[in-house]
Amino acid sequence: MSMRKNFELAMTRRDLFSRTAGGLGFAALNALATPVGKTHFAPKAKNVIFLHQSGGPSQQDLFDWKPNIADKRGLELPDSIRRGQRITGMTSGQSSLPVAPTIFKFAQHGQSGAWVSELMPHTAKIVDELTIVKTVHTDAINHDPAITFIQTGSQQPGRPSLGSWVSYGLGSENQNLPGFVVLLSQASGLNIDQPLFSRLWSAGFLPSNYQGIKFRSSGDPVLYLSDVPGIDRETRRRMLDSLSSLNGMRSEMFGDPEIETRISQYEMAYRMQTSVPELMDLSQESESTFDLYGPDSRKPGSYASHCLLARRLVERGVRFVQLYKRGWDQHGELPRDLRLQSQATDQASAALVMDLKQRGLLDDTLVIWGGEFGRTTYCQGTLTDSNYGRDHHPRCFTMWFAGGGMKRGTVIGETDDFSYNIVEDPIHVHDIQATILHCLGVDHKKLTYRFQGRDFRLTDVHGNVMKKMLA
Amino acid sequence: MAKLRLDTEEGAAAVIASGKFMSRVGHEKKALRMPPPGAKDLTDGQIELLRQWVNTGAEWKSHWSFTAPAKKDPSSVKSTWGNNAIDRFVLARLEKEGLKPSPRADRATLLRRVTFDLTGLPPTIEEQKAFLSDTSANAYEKVVDRLLASPKYGERMAMPWLDLARYADTHGFHIDSNRDMWPWRDWVVSAFNRNMPYDQFTVWQMAGDLLKNPTREQLLASGFNRNHMINFEGGAIPEEYHVEYVVDRVETTANAFMGMTMGCARCHDHKYDPIRQKEFYEFFSFFNTVNEKGLDGSIGNAQPFLALPDKLQEGRLTRIESRISELEAWLDQRDVPTLREAWEQNKPQFPAAPVADESGAKAASIRIRQSARLDSVEATLIDHPQYKLWIDGGVAIGRNRRGSYLFLKKGDDIYRTQEYIITGPWQHIALNFESEPQLWVDRKPLKLNRIQLRELPELFKRGTQADLQFFSRPLTEKEIHILGVDEPARKALEIAQEKRAADQKIMLLEYFFANGTTDNVRSVYRELTNLYDQRKELRDEIPTTMVMSEMAIPRETKILARGDYRNGTDVVTPNVPSFLPPLKKDTPRTRLGLAQWLTSGDHPLYSRVAVNRFWQMYFGTGLVKTVEDFGNQGELPSHPELLDWLAVEFRESGWDIKALQKKIVMSSTYQQESKIAPALLERDPENRLLARGPRFRFPAEIIRDNALAVSGLLNEKMGGPGVFPYQPKGVWEDIAYGDTFSSQVYQQSHGDALYRRSMYTYWKRTAPPPALATFDAPDREKCIARRSLTNTPLQALVLMNDPTYVEAARALATRMMKEGGSDPIGWAFQNALARKPEARERTVLLKQWNNQWNVYKNYPEGARQLLSNGESAIPKDLDQPRLAAWTTVASVILNLDETVTKE
Repeated sequence: MSMRKNFELAMTRRDLFSRTAGGLGFAALNALATPVGKTHFAPKAKNVIFLHQSGGPSQQDLFDWKPNIADKRGLELPDSIRRGQRITGMTSGQSSLPVAPTIFKFAQHGQSGAWVSELMPHTAKIVDELTIVKTVHTDAINHDPAITFIQTGSQQPGRPSLGSWVSYGLGSENQNLPGFVVLLSQASGLNIDQPLFSRLWSAGFLPSNYQGIKFRSSGDPVLYLSDVPGIDRETRRRMLDSLSSLNGMRSEMFGDPEIETRISQYEMAYRMQTSVPELMDLSQESESTFDLYGPDSRKPGSYASHCLLARRLVERGVRFVQLYKRGWDQHGELPRDLRLQSQATDQASAALVMDLKQRGLLDDTLVIWGGEFGRTTYCQGTLTDSNYGRDHHPRCFTMWFAGGGMKRGTVIGETDDFSYNIVEDPIHVHDIQATILHCLGVDHKKLTYRFQGRDFRLTDVHGNVMKKMLA
Repeated sequence: MAKLRLDTEEGAAAVIASGKFMSRVGHEKKALRMPPPGAKDLTDGQIELLRQWVNTGAEWKSHWSFTAPAKKDPSSVKSTWGNNAIDRFVLARLEKEGLKPSPRADRATLLRRVTFDLTGLPPTIEEQKAFLSDTSANAYEKVVDRLLASPKYGERMAMPWLDLARYADTHGFHIDSNRDMWPWRDWVVSAFNRNMPYDQFTVWQMAGDLLKNPTREQLLASGFNRNHMINFEGGAIPEEYHVEYVVDRVETTANAFMGMTMGCARCHDHKYDPIRQKEFYEFFSFFNTVNEKGLDGSIGNAQPFLALPDKLQEGRLTRIESRISELEAWLDQRDVPTLREAWEQNKPQFPAAPVADESGAKAASIRIRQSARLDSVEATLIDHPQYKLWIDGGVAIGRNRRGSYLFLKKGDDIYRTQEYIITGPWQHIALNFESEPQLWVDRKPLKLNRIQLRELPELFKRGTQADLQFFSRPLTEKEIHILGVDEPARKALEIAQEKRAADQKIMLLEYFFANGTTDNVRSVYRELTNLYDQRKELRDEIPTTMVMSEMAIPRETKILARGDYRNGTDVVTPNVPSFLPPLKKDTPRTRLGLAQWLTSGDHPLYSRVAVNRFWQMYFGTGLVKTVEDFGNQGELPSHPELLDWLAVEFRESGWDIKALQKKIVMSSTYQQESKIAPALLERDPENRLLARGPRFRFPAEIIRDNALAVSGLLNEKMGGPGVFPYQPKGVWEDIAYGDTFSSQVYQQSHGDALYRRSMYTYWKRTAPPPALATFDAPDREKCIARRSLTNTPLQALVLMNDPTYVEAARALATRMMKEGGSDPIGWAFQNALARKPEARERTVLLKQWNNQWNVYKNYPEGARQLLSNGESAIPKDLDQPRLAAWTTVASVILNLDETVTKE
């Protein structure tokens, strides 16, 4: 029996959840790197890098400039703006909701004339590559449900993550690396909030091999990757040869295709032991690349080094790279911590876009920047001339996109003078998700999976592709 | 066509009779067909099937699983194969398909299979010998009876139940800190071991608290419905999460006991879903009247919970309490108020206090009081050019012990108290910082550790400070005592009695007891305060577990439009969905009534779902493959009569779980060999027809338990709080919320706790045990009735490199050398695989050994490194290079497909 044959049989056998629609999702359950799947239509992007800024970056201190409230510091947020909409338990008890205009300077940049705050000087330089959406909105007002929502399409746990859906639908192009890789960077502000959860990159009810694999900067880059001391490469090879020869004998005797699959998985593990460290090793990168990403990019685990790694991952055909930068939750001391967070990320985010562009990878790669919600125009805690905090704000926040079929040099959407409500072009998180899949050549309504009697999809029963965002 | 209804009998009959049904469904032009072109097109085969059905009279039947199962005799079969009724059903189907069952597996394979299936562990060499040498006709049955009687049986049966019940050791949402539900988990193991009937097992878990005069055990069992995730995120809205808890209970109950998905009806009606939205909220209301809070759990278990003192603790508590009443009575007779008043009138003398002098300060004294809520207190207590003392609130690791750290900044160095300090009452803090800082809290010196930390913002909330004084020289312990004890008393006495604060009065009374009474009274008082402390400590140490309990005034349940907690519409009362049998008139509209309805015997789903899930455990796939979905979107049973026969048989046996397991493993169907002929693989790759025995990879827990067992490392202790085996650094910390809440920092266990069965591994939901998760163990956020079964390179990496397996390989190698005599490989095969190696297998492993021996004898450092994995002792009496070479052999054995597979 040929390997190919075995592989197909193994797929049939393990196809516990067979009925998927639209020709997608046939990827085998037996590998991390599955064959490249069929798209519903011609894709613009092959890969995605999602730079998730966890905690909720403050839109009106970074991208959504509101000059008309500059003189309203300390005035109560008008009821005509608040409109009785719910606010979190952290400020609902506050006796007053005073307006806190940004203290940061804004200027227009590029051909597009996009307004960007002084905190993001490098991003400001690349606005003509970006699609800046100022009117993303979400359903959740706290971190756990909001980040779960943007990453899985549902506020409550249990659904597959965006990267898992993509990995399930499209597979990976690299047989030696997982199709969905996760990189975590810690906070740079003094406030470290918020926690993250493995469910954000979990496969949910999809088979568990579609979950994101964490690539770590300390210890083993992939859990259990390194051979323990005392086992060198020759020894490992010998052990694998013994193993594969014994497994082969069992396979002859039992005819179970799972055994052949296991043999090949051990071989892939062996290859990963080389390919992953090679990938994680930045020493071959040029000085000019490090200059581009900034000095932090030499520090393992930093956001900058992860941006650089993200480029290396998509270069090698990894389908979906999910970064998390913690520390954007500025309930208090916003000026201090937002500055620190911006300093730690701005250059590298911009560098990633430019680096991909220089290498001709940007057309194939969709880069996404954004958090799980925005922040309130009113102050949480004490408001002074130089200090304030902001609570969570779900009704509008800013995300930006680059490459991968997005319209370059565009700013989409308008919010009111307080950056509180959307005035023009509301774009819901489900719309964002539908649009991301669209860029990958996937119809979000057709990428479904039967579970508990229902065809689930990333966007539930919602979501529209936002043509405005597309090139 | 708008009024067309195909989901009701009348509607369908009318449309079919009119001829419109087939003319639209089977329209020759595809574009005109119904349903409209799109994702749900009917295939030509499906259309033909519908045509046949219409032509043969379009008989209307309700969905198969919604009518009660009936026992039918199996069709007659030609062959005499088989042990029991199960086999006749299976054989009938095989004969229909023109297939034959496989021969019985050889005895060793069978022993290994059934031992894993019933205990989750491998048969020992002694057990193998005993079985192989037992020539009696019922030798196999004796083994089955032995296994069913083993306490490990309960552990094995509990594993899938913990997935269903979404059991975990943390709350799951957001900060994901510790909870204690392990007493409930241990109860499950014990209930299986006692062979508690399945109906009772159900009733106690659904409604143990509602039984008449519930026992502690019945209350404990009701924790099933408290295993859901719980939230206390800072800004969250209680009503929102309260609804989620109740929805989770509905979904879990529906999945576990009815194989139904109810969650879809939460938001609105679905045309093809039998459950209407109203019915969803009627069902919801059974679970909506629990005496719980929407946000809870920041310091351990969320209310309601139950204290579980053991006999020893109960005895100690009684003794302490009776001694306390004795001493209090004694004091009462002494007329303390009069004595105290006399003491005050006598103008007690106080020792001289050191004189405060802020110039060139080298010491400080301060009193602080913290309010009860400490979730986010960051308070600067002392601000001075040279130093700073502040407090950071939090919750101590461990249960119900809440506390705060004190931080000290001197120059650029930041120090933190090693222990948490308690909060609430006034406490005196003294500080010397002339050289290395020293800190006393209520006269007790506290160890300070220099730490790497960000500077905290200056913020003083939810606390009070008083009596801040600086001194130009370090304070002595005696002076600290004066400042902390005598001075506050002296100052309080200066205040007119009626103006003293309540806590000042208490403080003065305490001061009087310590300084102003006779020796007798003083010693009684000392004993008493000591006993109060002991009582508090004891109460903190007694474990609790979350349980169900009803509100005194039940909460009203409303239909929530679009499932949103803000959109309550019509009020509903508890009821069951109309497509299932109705509640009887005298059945209470409570969870207890619901449990009685499930277990009454005429429920169409309850028994089928249970037997189907047990079947899945043995064969990998249920008779209904979608074990969680018996609805009309689920799969049809492969052997409907067998499923019904088992369901009725289970009920008629008095819900005897062990008897059901025995019936299955005694069947010839179960005992077939699992070799797969190519033709059969082609024909039936999933083994749905059961023409062979089951062969599939073990669940995560069993893979690890097996490695521990065959290497001799396994610690068979049962029950208790979760343990912390080896885990790579950072898995928790990378995503955690600092270390001010419990379960944020992984503190690995040591000693024999490293080798407990995997079901006792601490389960943190936002970062589940990575090696187990790699083998498809779920995160336990939601009810799971079937795990995926993948085969990935990450699994290879775990078995090759996880210290658990490297250590197990060394321990197995040690046994091979010590117990294997002249044939270590033969012994290892017997021990790990319950069989002898074939000659060619032996050749491969001998070569492996020889090659490695040649490596390690010239490279003893490599051998030493390999052997130093794991914390168990390295045998001193064995030659290290030899042992290392055998360790590589043992590792190969532990990595074999056969080792991780039930054959």
